[in-house]
Amino acid sequence: MSRDESKLLYAESHEWVDLAEENGKTVGTIGLSGFALEQLNDLVYMELPELGRELTAGEEFGEVESVKAVSPLYSPVSGKVIAVHDDLPESLEKLNDDPYDFGWILKVEVSQANSVDALLDHAAYQKQCAEAG
Amino acid sequence: MMNTRTGAGILGDPRIGRLISISTAGSATNMAVDQAILNAVSQSGIPVLRFYQWVEPTLSLGYFQGLASRSDHCQSDQIRCVRRTTGGGAIVHDRELTYSISMPVPAGQAGPRSALYQQTHAAIASALACFGVHAVPFRLTGTGARSESDNSHFLCFQRRTPEDLIVSGYKVLGSAQRKSRTAVLQHGSLLMHASEYAPQLPGVSDLLSVPITADDLIPGIVANLSECLGVDWQAGHLSEQEKLDAEQISCERFSQSGWTARR
Repeated sequence: MSRDESKLLYAESHEWVDLAEENGKTVGTIGLSGFALEQLNDLVYMELPELGRELTAGEEFGEVESVKAVSPLYSPVSGKVIAVHDDLPESLEKLNDDPYDFGWILKVEVSQANSVDALLDHAAYQKQCAEAG
Repeated sequence: MMNTRTGAGILGDPRIGRLISISTAGSATNMAVDQAILNAVSQSGIPVLRFYQWVEPTLSLGYFQGLASRSDHCQSDQIRCVRRTTGGGAIVHDRELTYSISMPVPAGQAGPRSALYQQTHAAIASALACFGVHAVPFRLTGTGARSESDNSHFLCFQRRTPEDLIVSGYKVLGSAQRKSRTAVLQHGSLLMHASEYAPQLPGVSDLLSVPITADDLIPGIVANLSECLGVDWQAGHLSEQEKLDAEQISCERFSQSGWTARR
């Protein structure tokens, strides 16, 4: 089933998170928005975090390179990394076509429910993107 | 990827920048100073322009390049090596001029700052034109010009991206970036002469009948960057805090063999 981007939450730094309940825990699946991928323009490298790493909302969890520019990726939520999309760094050419399903980067077991309070809903994120041009 | 600027500092006027005059240092110090400046600009919002050279021939690896790929270029495989925090391919810093420019980034924008590549390279092309050098971006070199950023070449100067400056078919200027939440560091290398450690790459003076030096070019580059970026570059120096930060960053990162060999 395709992920509905209008139901996701977004960080100002362009990462999306899809929150779901799994076995009584909140799991956030995280990726990069289509808007960000358009601006990044042809990713050539991506570095993923290690499994088990504890992240705080806003903390760097990885890096990408495009057009000789290295940009950090920031976690939109706090929690422990429970899965990473290992195939993604070798398949970055597919990312722009499918940022919300194939393009998931990592899954985090959310440790602080209120860490999502500062995130944007789809409408607010769209507004930010429009203002950024 | 970026958030609005955070931190306790009061933002300065982004139209007035600091110009750090040319200096020569070792590889770890050069990279650490650029990182310390990026950290400072992330807080202050005040642009910084710096020119520098290297105390010994040095190979700088792009952030994601593997150290083992040095064996792809035997002429440079015995000189000192440092890993940059910026992307792109490896550069032999020998008979060249390195610049770095750190600028605040508007909120809500992601990805490389393509305009900064264009503006800085246009400023350097204009400075070169005053000495009779016709340098053009790779994207304007005619039909069939295509990007070769597929990382198949080890050396930056054997790759081609749209804003690279080309003289007589040879790439003479390449740049790369590292973003923070609220600022971007761009540094780049202008080849002045071919190095014995990369003899296949001529510099601008090799392509001219009258040699020019880095000192000849810098005033024009600064003036052009002032005009195209709308920044008044005022002579400055590293702050005591930046010097301390650079020393720490050099010790903890760029001097460490683990950093250089991390990939």
